Amino acid sequence: MAKIILDNIAHTYEPNVNNPIFALKEMSLSWADGGRYALLGPSGCGKTTMLNIMSGLVRPSHGKVFFDEREVTSMITEDRNIAQVFQFPVIYGTMTVYENLAFPLKCRQFPENQIERKVREVAEILNLQDYLSNRAKGLTADQKQLISLGRGLVREDVAAILMDEPLTVIDPDLKFRLRRKLKEINDKYKTTLIYVTHDQNEAMTFADNIIVMDQGEVVQAGSPKDLFERPQTTFVGYFIGSPAMNLYKCSVSSQNEISIGAKAFKVQTNINSGSDNLKLGIRSEYITVESEHSDNSLEADVIEVEDFGNYKLITASFDSLKIKAKVKRELDIPSEKVILKLPAEHCCIYENNKLI
Amino acid sequence: MPKLYTFLKYFFVVLWACFVIAPFLWAISTSFKDFNSVTGGATYIPWLQFEPTLDGWSVLFKPGSQGGINIIGPYFNSIFVTLTASLISIVLGTLAAYALSRYTFKAGIVKNNDITFFFISQRIMPPVVLSIPFFIFLSSLGLLDSLAGLILVYIVLLMPIAVWIMVDFFNRVPREIDETALIDGCNPFQAFFKVVLPNSVPGMLVAGLFCIIFGWIDFFFAFILTFTKVQLLPVKIVALNSSITPWWSLSAAALVSVAPLIIVAFIVERYLSKGNLSGALK
Repeated sequence: MAKIILDNIAHTYEPNVNNPIFALKEMSLSWADGGRYALLGPSGCGKTTMLNIMSGLVRPSHGKVFFDEREVTSMITEDRNIAQVFQFPVIYGTMTVYENLAFPLKCRQFPENQIERKVREVAEILNLQDYLSNRAKGLTADQKQLISLGRGLVREDVAAILMDEPLTVIDPDLKFRLRRKLKEINDKYKTTLIYVTHDQNEAMTFADNIIVMDQGEVVQAGSPKDLFERPQTTFVGYFIGSPAMNLYKCSVSSQNEISIGAKAFKVQTNINSGSDNLKLGIRSEYITVESEHSDNSLEADVIEVEDFGNYKLITASFDSLKIKAKVKRELDIPSEKVILKLPAEHCCIYENNKLI
Repeated sequence: MPKLYTFLKYFFVVLWACFVIAPFLWAISTSFKDFNSVTGGATYIPWLQFEPTLDGWSVLFKPGSQGGINIIGPYFNSIFVTLTASLISIVLGTLAAYALSRYTFKAGIVKNNDITFFFISQRIMPPVVLSIPFFIFLSSLGLLDSLAGLILVYIVLLMPIAVWIMVDFFNRVPREIDETALIDGCNPFQAFFKVVLPNSVPGMLVAGLFCIIFGWIDFFFAFILTFTKVQLLPVKIVALNSSITPWWSLSAAALVSVAPLIIVAFIVERYLSKGNLSGALK
């Protein structure tokens, strides 16, 4: 187990080209020992490259990797003692389930009785105990993925377990249970877990810390609450949360007031900028339905009200802008005009897509 | 409707089976005929239409002094040369193919695909082009008319087949398997031998089958590069030909020489039809 530090890491897959495209732009990042992280971002944003750099499958073209104080940048994968689980199940088809699970321990020459104990323990966790003597090849896709996961879990002393969207092929119910298991394992063994996903719910429920990436850069790292309430960029606001954050172009009317079209809104941000690329962002969860006008309220035409069972989602328009509000389902929503309030404390102001 | 389908299916299978087996039946019956039964018009049923005789077969095993050709020595020579060359080709070809599939090579403008093509291009060349170079090559090594010389030449001929089939095979084996093995604690060699290789048996069987077929049927190089000390089966069989074509012993020789290929095909087919390729990923 170790703290993993990425020191000025950058990576390009075409190092010999002028002006190469960087899959990972220069960044420094550290992963605390025993932490539970989610790496979140759209496809192709560099998540997998980052994992491969940590596991040693990819050698970064720039920068250094440390496990605690030890530099491991050029250390080969087998010496790093890292576990990595890929998106699609990888099994050793010619071996039994037991041999598959025992393989990482066998490779590292653990004594036979220890291997047996550990394999049975992990098989129990993953509900594979009845299949141990089966050939791995004949199992279903999700069972195969459990084997991949199991191979990551059999070693207690790993520096970290890196998981690259590991639950994609697993059905929702088992997915939920496995995430809880992974949390338990993290609590019990204090193994660092780094979990790559593009599913924000998965990230929010699994991790203490979420790192959001976009186009090879870390755009925000923080707790699920931070990411939800104070997205650092409009990208994070848009990417995290369902529905995405409401974002409107706005202009400054005074230090604590902005206007969208002709309508003025109070905000708690001190705006000193004269930039003309300002945006107001507000989560649909924080927009309330009011019966009469007050500060920061606006009147909008209801386009659609969707009932999601546990909440209602109002889609309305004002000044030809769409606004989405998530409200309690008991609430009666007028069918034509609705008064919506944008509380000042939840209004985020973005300049050039960055939070001020 | 399904009944009609089943009927048609079996009908065509039976038809195809007849088509495949007819030449064999023809050869079998001819091998038991004598001169008169062959030249006196088409006959099919032994004892009824012609009197079977073992003359055609006995020629194959009689020594030269008694007018035979004695194929036993050449037969084992052929088996030895083909198997040895195929085995070496598969071993070297598999290693080369794995490297070509997993690692990036670059020398100027030459890259992995060019190297793979270089191997295959050895098969594109007409054998005649290679005959003189091979002759000079073997004679300078003192390996003309020897088993070792033939094996060397056959490796050159068979390895491209092995490389070609195995590169394609390894390209379809997901890289994640190697990577997982590395993560699980193997070094690259262990990853290859412990994980990738056991999964590659079907590919190696196919490559082996092709190597054995192409090695076994080669007449040209065996004819050019050997004289009296070492002879392979195809060369020996051709020696049967004389002013009167001995159809009976040629048929017997054809049956004897095709038998090992049929046996190999039956063994390998079992492994192929299992679909061993699937299931490693997804």
